[in-house]
Amino acid sequence: METPVTYDGASVRAAKARLGARLGGTWRLIFLLLIFVCIASGAALVVGGVALGWVLVGLAALPLMALEWDKYELTEPRQVVGSVDGVLASDVLGKLGEHPTPQDVARASASVPSGQFFALRYGITSGFLLNITSDQPADTAALWEHALEIKELTNSPSLSGAVLVVAIIRNFADYESLLAHMQLDYEDLLAGIRWYNHLKRLIDTSKQPRRTGGIARDFSFGYIPLLRRFGQNLSESAGSRIVVEVDSHLKALDQLLETFGSGGRQNVALIGEAGAGKTTLVHAFAERILDAKASIPESLKFRQVFILDSASLIAAAPGRGELEGLIMQVLGEAYSAKNIIICLDNAQLFFEEGVGSVDLTNLLLPILEAGNLRIILTMDEQRYLQIGQRNPSLINALNRISVAPSGRDETIAVMQDQLIFTEYQRKVTYMYQSLAEAYRLSERYVHDLAMPGRALKLLESAASYSEDGFVTGNSVQQAIEQTMDIKVGVASSEDEREKLLNLEDHIHERMINQVHAVRVVSDALRRARAGVRNQNRPIGTFLFLGPTGVGKTELSKALADVYFGGEDRMIRLDLNEYVRPEDVSRLIADGADDPASLTAQVMKQPFSVVLLDEIEKAHPQVLTTLLQLLDEGILRDIKNREVSFRDAIIIATSNAGADRIREYIERGYKLEQFEQRFIDELISSNQFRPEFLNRFDEITIFRPLEKPELIQVIDLMLSGINKQMALQKISVNVALDAKEFLVDKGYDPRLGARPMRRVVQRAVENLVAKQMLAGTVAPGTVIEITRDQVVAMLGETTTPATADLPL
Amino acid sequence: MLLALELLRWWYGDGWRKRAQLAGHRLDGTIDYFSIGLLLKTLFSPFRQISAGRVDGPIGVQLRAMVDKIFSRIIGAVVRLLILLVGGVTIGVQVLLSVLLLIGWGIVPVLPLLGAVLALAGVTL
Repeated sequence: METPVTYDGASVRAAKARLGARLGGTWRLIFLLLIFVCIASGAALVVGGVALGWVLVGLAALPLMALEWDKYELTEPRQVVGSVDGVLASDVLGKLGEHPTPQDVARASASVPSGQFFALRYGITSGFLLNITSDQPADTAALWEHALEIKELTNSPSLSGAVLVVAIIRNFADYESLLAHMQLDYEDLLAGIRWYNHLKRLIDTSKQPRRTGGIARDFSFGYIPLLRRFGQNLSESAGSRIVVEVDSHLKALDQLLETFGSGGRQNVALIGEAGAGKTTLVHAFAERILDAKASIPESLKFRQVFILDSASLIAAAPGRGELEGLIMQVLGEAYSAKNIIICLDNAQLFFEEGVGSVDLTNLLLPILEAGNLRIILTMDEQRYLQIGQRNPSLINALNRISVAPSGRDETIAVMQDQLIFTEYQRKVTYMYQSLAEAYRLSERYVHDLAMPGRALKLLESAASYSEDGFVTGNSVQQAIEQTMDIKVGVASSEDEREKLLNLEDHIHERMINQVHAVRVVSDALRRARAGVRNQNRPIGTFLFLGPTGVGKTELSKALADVYFGGEDRMIRLDLNEYVRPEDVSRLIADGADDPASLTAQVMKQPFSVVLLDEIEKAHPQVLTTLLQLLDEGILRDIKNREVSFRDAIIIATSNAGADRIREYIERGYKLEQFEQRFIDELISSNQFRPEFLNRFDEITIFRPLEKPELIQVIDLMLSGINKQMALQKISVNVALDAKEFLVDKGYDPRLGARPMRRVVQRAVENLVAKQMLAGTVAPGTVIEITRDQVVAMLGETTTPATADLPL
Repeated sequence: MLLALELLRWWYGDGWRKRAQLAGHRLDGTIDYFSIGLLLKTLFSPFRQISAGRVDGPIGVQLRAMVDKIFSRIIGAVVRLLILLVGGVTIGVQVLLSVLLLIGWGIVPVLPLLGAVLALAGVTL
């Protein structure tokens, strides 16, 4: 029934609520004292022969009645449908006058626990609310209207402080921008109300006494000394009121009850990824069957779930025979006791040989096939399939129940439940933004667990990065940045801003020319760090075309260094090693089998420059696999896990058409003049398919370096040498004509500037080394190197500079 | 005045009901604590299950198992009856106290009046 928007501040309910608000803790103490004084003094008078004492004893009834009334009625007067005051939460109603203004409502809402919940979890404080509300009583009607609408929308039992806080924000004309500033939206606020209602329900439920069978519950069942030694009784630890929030898990729980409640084989295999909640489900099951009030089959009531501890079993039995004997004894005890459900958590430990695991298939299979002893197994899909492959009859003997990972809303609901324990243990408070951020970031960067486990793991580690006891979205970002050594936040520090704004200059400190290439790459990075980019693609995808030794790899290294903080942030793959169709599997191999596979490396280090060298040599099937990566920033590994490349810069390089580029340059063309024609030529000559080229954000052509630029390259190399020798306080100065000689010797039209490093090494580094060993240079010396010295040094070398390089 | 009337209305309406409800919950808890339902249902079941299911083997073994089971049933019945007895007495006392409390609840509002009457009558101990 729809509640009319009328507020009667003089109603009986309002008067009761106001009285309840006034009767605080002090008044309760006074009443208790009055009761005691009246009864004690009255009784003393009566015993002492003064009949007036009866009046005092009788008067003790008044504070007693007031106390009871306050406790059971005034704190939450019965709701009256038909007006706003009839459904307002009494703690708020008790603080409002007869004609409240929106500011009065804001003040009252912010001062009650449900309103304070929003201050804590969302940062929406009393001051903030007062700033966006008016002090005109006439404006309150619109606020009530929004509040009633939100109450319906969130299924709230009353117009609580939480509902009113959201209504106040909703009442603000430009509420969407207001929320955007706080990185929130309206739906997030509604989720907050549901969260508060849920917590309140949990608290109310926990206050209800539990009925778990009483002292004689286990009289009809057997003793279990061995099980107590080698197992953990989940039913004894039950009582924390595990709430199953995930729909698919609720279904799985019902299936568990149905399987064990019916007459078939009494075993269940819970199959799902690690982190999906299999063990939690077993805990919830243990709790459910211990609840006398739950509607479950009689044959399941008060049964106890024991998780067998494989480690202590293996430790207690040194030989295989002893172990098998011990397990038979434990299982026999469970069967005889008649009220035990055995759980083999991570059941693969009992079905395969390994460290800490032992293959007991022959022992367990007949028991599972007979189906008399109730057993729950938990396992991940992969292991289930592997075990099934080895022993199909084992799989046939099991009743499989799948435990699917949770979705976003379900994961957030699970986090809301679980964080209560973490908050208590770690003395922190989680803000809503931290939950949303934990989901977002864990979905992208945590690969070894399924939801909700992966989000919970991140959320727990974020507690260590709380700010003044509050775990914020920023804490979660810091947690993932520290634990995975990656950057996830938008550029913020002054240093970083400066670096991004002057990215071209920073790159040119270590790269000569290639201005166009540097500019397009820098623009892409600035877009990414400012948050203006498509989040569902890699940061940037570039194809670098050009001859060898012109700076393609150097630019990739510079990017890794400047943007990700080190050259080691470059993942390099030589695609000339991926020339067969079967090489695709090597590209996406599991990290455990091949840590050098592309997916394994990116999984470990998602914030990287991925350099795909000599892409034209890769097999077409390898290229097809890479298409998805370029398009969606996702590649599935061999285990079908999604590996995100959305925080990587993808650079493919190719020498295809290098001679044509040189030819164009020699004929006097500028890059811009032949760029498009050159790309068309690559397509028409079938070196690249157009759909492949179209996937790149930018195709950049690197032109061959000219002599003056090569002298600058020499300078860069020399500054590198000087940096190395700075420790010995020695520096090198090479004459210009000597540099020109080095360029003549080191430059190769086919290999570009690449051989020059070797020439400089041979000429300059060897010369300096000789002088240092001869003791002719002292710290603080500047070694001047002339052309003659260089000629002499290079003359000493019998092999030309490029002779041992692959052509 | 209006609030005093409201208090009286609550006292003899929702308040009394709430008090009865609380007494019911307490009683429920005690019944659960003494496992009354379970004890009645399993009065003659073996105590702590000395063996499960049928025992196969020579007649001597079967006889021994049967004797064991009978012995276990007798012990079980004795223990259960004892607990039922203690539980029954506790529940009885609790029911009595709850009834008295509920009757007392109805008298509380008239206690000031009753006190005045007794004082006027000059009753002393």
